[in-house]
Amino acid sequence: MIAAECETTRLVLHDFVRGRLPPETRSATESHLAGCGECRARLEEERITARLLETHVSRPPASDALRAKLLAELGPAEASSKPRRFATTALLALAALLVGAILLVREVRSPAEDALVNEAVNDHLRVLYAERPVEIESGGIHQVKPWFSGRLDFAPVVGFGGDGDFPLVGGSVALFVDRKAACFVFKRRLHTISLFVFRADGLSLPTVTSEELRGGKAPVGGARGFHSILFRHGDLGYALVSDVASAELVTLSERLDL
Amino acid sequence: MSQGSSVRAFPRLPGPVGAGARLCYSETMERKGRSPASRALGLAALEHADALHAFAWHLTRNPTRAEDLVQDTFARCLAASDQFLPSGNLKGWLFRILRNAFIDGVRREARNPARGASEVPEPSDDEISGEPLRSDPELERLRHLVAKDIEAALGALSVDARTVVLLDLEGFTETEIADVMGCPRGTVKSRLGRARALLRERLREYAR
Repeated sequence: MIAAECETTRLVLHDFVRGRLPPETRSATESHLAGCGECRARLEEERITARLLETHVSRPPASDALRAKLLAELGPAEASSKPRRFATTALLALAALLVGAILLVREVRSPAEDALVNEAVNDHLRVLYAERPVEIESGGIHQVKPWFSGRLDFAPVVGFGGDGDFPLVGGSVALFVDRKAACFVFKRRLHTISLFVFRADGLSLPTVTSEELRGGKAPVGGARGFHSILFRHGDLGYALVSDVASAELVTLSERLDL
Repeated sequence: MSQGSSVRAFPRLPGPVGAGARLCYSETMERKGRSPASRALGLAALEHADALHAFAWHLTRNPTRAEDLVQDTFARCLAASDQFLPSGNLKGWLFRILRNAFIDGVRREARNPARGASEVPEPSDDEISGEPLRSDPELERLRHLVAKDIEAALGALSVDARTVVLLDLEGFTETEIADVMGCPRGTVKSRLGRARALLRERLREYAR
């Protein structure tokens, strides 16, 4: 017969791991876990299972052939009974999309920036696969930012402490290229978003003003299925990386409050 | 604000259709062309093609059928485009269409056993031991399970259990999952709890 408190705790372990519990329930759960080895064992198993699912369940993307079929399904913009006109329109639309995609990538990427995007994606992967992705769990930005004092030779400037859309999970010290970086970990649903803040001297990064950032003008790039936003603001460099849609990453960049 | 945070009931979907429905939709559309609104919805839906394909792949576990299912979903979405409100949750709506299209396909196959429909039966509660892994070596083995084991465990779940786990993994809230699956939120909660318990049970078998 299992104790009622254990039963209640086990029912919410999944939400506990996901960081979806309201503060009072989270606090009660933590209290119970502190004194119950059996529930802690289940928590550990839940954490491992959640991480295995997040990192090991494949997400095979739509092939180019399938995308072309879906695009063709859209048909012409206006009613037409001429198959040739339909085919021409579909081809033009496909060509426009391809050119647009190439221009978009070219606009924000140079070889040096490519290297930084790859670096940012690698660092993000290290966060995803880390046994402990955050060294300081979030009790809000005012708890996370002071934690970096004495661990970094600069103060990471980030005004955003997470919200319902992008909860702040916590922070850790990371390496970005050859220097230390503050790593803030946010969540978007179950997706992890890493924000690396580092000294920007010597790095080839596009400068972005606060107004541009708030206006959603952050330069979006990406590599290996991850989206990234890398830029310089003042003396600091910023790298946002995640597998969320690029529009969602831009939304987060608008809220950084730099 | 992303589409995902906008939770609302999805509009009514095209009714159950029989075999060949995708072709009917496609042929009709090709003849008639698309309204600008329908094209805009189609282009917005294309943004979710990867997520839809991954979901279809895990439901069908067959590359060809997964692609057919995504195409069918896309066709149904366009056919019902006038029922979708711009403020709605497009991703959730598409996932719901895909799930319904998949179920339609399973039903068709059930009427035609030669094609081998294979739904995994739900195990009874007795088969879920609920006994957690206790020792460090067992937990360590669990940590080091490989993708093949995880996907085999996921694939061994029933379609409903797999669906709820995949939607949760995709980041849908319980309310959104309820909309996709067409059931109350409380049902989602219990289904998700049971599905994850089953999954843990299967993973324990690999780790022991």
